[in-house]
Amino acid sequence: MLENYFKIAMAILKRRKFFTFISLFGISFTLTILIVLTAFIDKIIADNYPNAKNDRSLYVKNLEERGGEKDHFSSASGPMSFYFLDHFVGSLKTPIRIAICSFYNSTNTYVNNKKIVIDYKYTNAAYWDALDYEFLEGKPFDNQQVKSGDLVAVISEDIKVKYFGDMASVVGKYIEADNVRYRVCGVVKNVPITSYMFYGEMYLPYTVSKTGYKDQSYRGDYLAILLAGSQAEVPKMQEEFDQMVRKIPMESKSYDTIFCHADSYLTGYLRTGNEASSGMTYAILAIAIFVIIFMLLPTLNLVNINITRIMERSSEIGVRKAFGASSKTLVYQFIVENLILTLLGGIIGFILSAIILLCINNADLIPNLHLSLSLTVFFVGMITCLIFGLLSGVYPAWRMSKMNVINALKEQ
Amino acid sequence: MVKHLFTLIWNKKKQNFLLMLEILVSFLVMFAVFTLTVNDYQRYKKPMGFDYEDVWVINYSNSFQTGNKDSLIRYYETLRQLLKGLPSVKDMSFISENVPFSQTTDGDGVNYNKNEVQVEAFQVEDSYRNTLGIKMAEGRWFDSQDAVSKNKPVVINTTLKEKLFGAESAIGKDIGFSYNTKIKNTVIGVVQDAKVKGDYSLVSPATYTKIDTDAFNRLGNILIKVSPNADAAFEGLLYKVLANYMKNADVEIEHLANKRVSINNFTLIPMIVLLLVGGFLIINVALGLFGVLWYNINKRKGEIGLRRAIGASGAAVSGQLVSEALIIASLSLAAGTFFAVQFPLLNVFDLPPNVYFLAILFSIIFIYLLVLICSLYPGRQAAAIYPAVALHED
Repeated sequence: MLENYFKIAMAILKRRKFFTFISLFGISFTLTILIVLTAFIDKIIADNYPNAKNDRSLYVKNLEERGGEKDHFSSASGPMSFYFLDHFVGSLKTPIRIAICSFYNSTNTYVNNKKIVIDYKYTNAAYWDALDYEFLEGKPFDNQQVKSGDLVAVISEDIKVKYFGDMASVVGKYIEADNVRYRVCGVVKNVPITSYMFYGEMYLPYTVSKTGYKDQSYRGDYLAILLAGSQAEVPKMQEEFDQMVRKIPMESKSYDTIFCHADSYLTGYLRTGNEASSGMTYAILAIAIFVIIFMLLPTLNLVNINITRIMERSSEIGVRKAFGASSKTLVYQFIVENLILTLLGGIIGFILSAIILLCINNADLIPNLHLSLSLTVFFVGMITCLIFGLLSGVYPAWRMSKMNVINALKEQ
Repeated sequence: MVKHLFTLIWNKKKQNFLLMLEILVSFLVMFAVFTLTVNDYQRYKKPMGFDYEDVWVINYSNSFQTGNKDSLIRYYETLRQLLKGLPSVKDMSFISENVPFSQTTDGDGVNYNKNEVQVEAFQVEDSYRNTLGIKMAEGRWFDSQDAVSKNKPVVINTTLKEKLFGAESAIGKDIGFSYNTKIKNTVIGVVQDAKVKGDYSLVSPATYTKIDTDAFNRLGNILIKVSPNADAAFEGLLYKVLANYMKNADVEIEHLANKRVSINNFTLIPMIVLLLVGGFLIINVALGLFGVLWYNINKRKGEIGLRRAIGASGAAVSGQLVSEALIIASLSLAAGTFFAVQFPLLNVFDLPPNVYFLAILFSIIFIYLLVLICSLYPGRQAAAIYPAVALHED
């Protein structure tokens, strides 16, 4: 039966080439845009480089202090100091590793009369254990080097090329940044700036930071990544973290509450600094509204075209009805036909998206962000295809099935 | 005639309903696209208000900590002399962290006669005006007279002047700051608006005050105007001078021209994506409209043949079909305009109302053009129908 439907669908596609073109154009382009969007989101929120142990990690990146009466309300919010993370967060028992690093900052260096902007960040030694950077050469700095404040640096592939040119190995060579000479101890694969918690082009031990790390105020420029021994221990780690936060003494008298969260990567990524909500709801709502509005027009268009096409086939419908086909069978047939059409459009859409993603990657819109068609993307694409097919097929099929046999036959 | 066409459309309301819905949604999409483009264009059209070419920003951090006010001033005076002594440096000014084309803002509230306005508060030096080439609209910029004045002098921009004083002159008026209510401030000048947040930004009300000498340990930015021939070699030299002098600071040099490009991209890239998506949707709708109209005309061959047979001209027939399509579009546009007008009436996104009205106008013209183009070809086809052929088929 399905084979028959398939044959009929193909025959009809060939009959009115212009309509087929319109339908396929609408379906494939809509899907292409949705697939590219999914690829972006997928890359940004579910990338596993360098955080391969994402499922057992929690991220602490914001501290908010609040206090005062309603009319003298005071609050301060932002990243934390190294002291805060080392002293309070460092006291936790559950995490097996606590990575502490600063957000990236920029500095310049000048080689051969050329200016290079370097985004650098300070980390501790545990950072390299908690995350899985891919070392192209050399190795990370260890705890000993951090303790003694060695001037060593892990640099990214990009900076290696920019600073040293096409040199084969740069480990042991010196790189000058911010007027200080650092010895390169490792080169890592690039991280795109969208993974802003891990992004950096030069990683330095926190002990060499010019701003110092001993300042005992709570707020500063650092974030922490807590790594649990196993996925099962994550809730326990979160629980311990929350308990610890409740016991932190207030930094000054003007505050009476401290908000600080250990979040999963996604929640942390979207946390806007608003304590009432994590930003997750907004992000999902915004994307949903965009997708609905965006799909509404092509769907309406497809419904219009489908009605037109179905009305063209009124004689066929009339004859089938006259010979006893039930409305249900007919509706079923048209929906299947329409699904075949959307799947066909879906395949074209996938090919188009692959081409567009290739173009985006080559154009290097966001450096080092390489989009790809992952399984998630494929899955989302298929689901959208089905929804699209059903939405645009059901109404025309229902209109058709209500058609009076006599009218249907008479029209020819 | 129009009434007659209405009857024809009404008779096929079920078929036309979806078509109308589609045009309505297209109108709303175009309304959104045009609102944003018109708004951005209007902002872009306004003059920049300052000169960003050959101006560099030096960002430094935590350079010198001391409790002694005198040594603090001496430290930064030496730095100033050091920088001014460099060959290509024309002028320089220390400035609060809200440097041009950065995302950072320093908010404050300003009040006059119980009228409170949120402002962007710039802390600058006398040389700031020359460094950025800001033009005065009224009054004067900071100068040596300020040292003897009783109240703290403040310069405001035109936007703030209009909000606080309207058509009156602002010079000599006393205004208060919410952040520090104890100090009295007198407006000594009004500068022209400067779009410091990029070409597509809205100029916010702004105040300019002189940096307090003891505020230097909280500053971290310097603006310098260099001569046009300053190259990377000079920048390298400048960097060395800075880094050697401020041993404990992280130093970074940026060019305002580059910062302008990147802050503009925050507006431009979403805009380009929106236009691409909107363009794709419109092509989609256009093809769909074209297909449906074409099909409808094919189905009405009998009717058209009959009209031709009793003497209607080809132009009359195609005219009828095109006007039918335009009437359908008008109905949708009426409904769409009803929704769109709510935006300026309810002041939803705080945009100037004329942006919305222009956007509505453009969208209406756009949709009419679209429908016209999509119905012209089917209309002409209908006009070409021979009565004999058409009537023979039935």
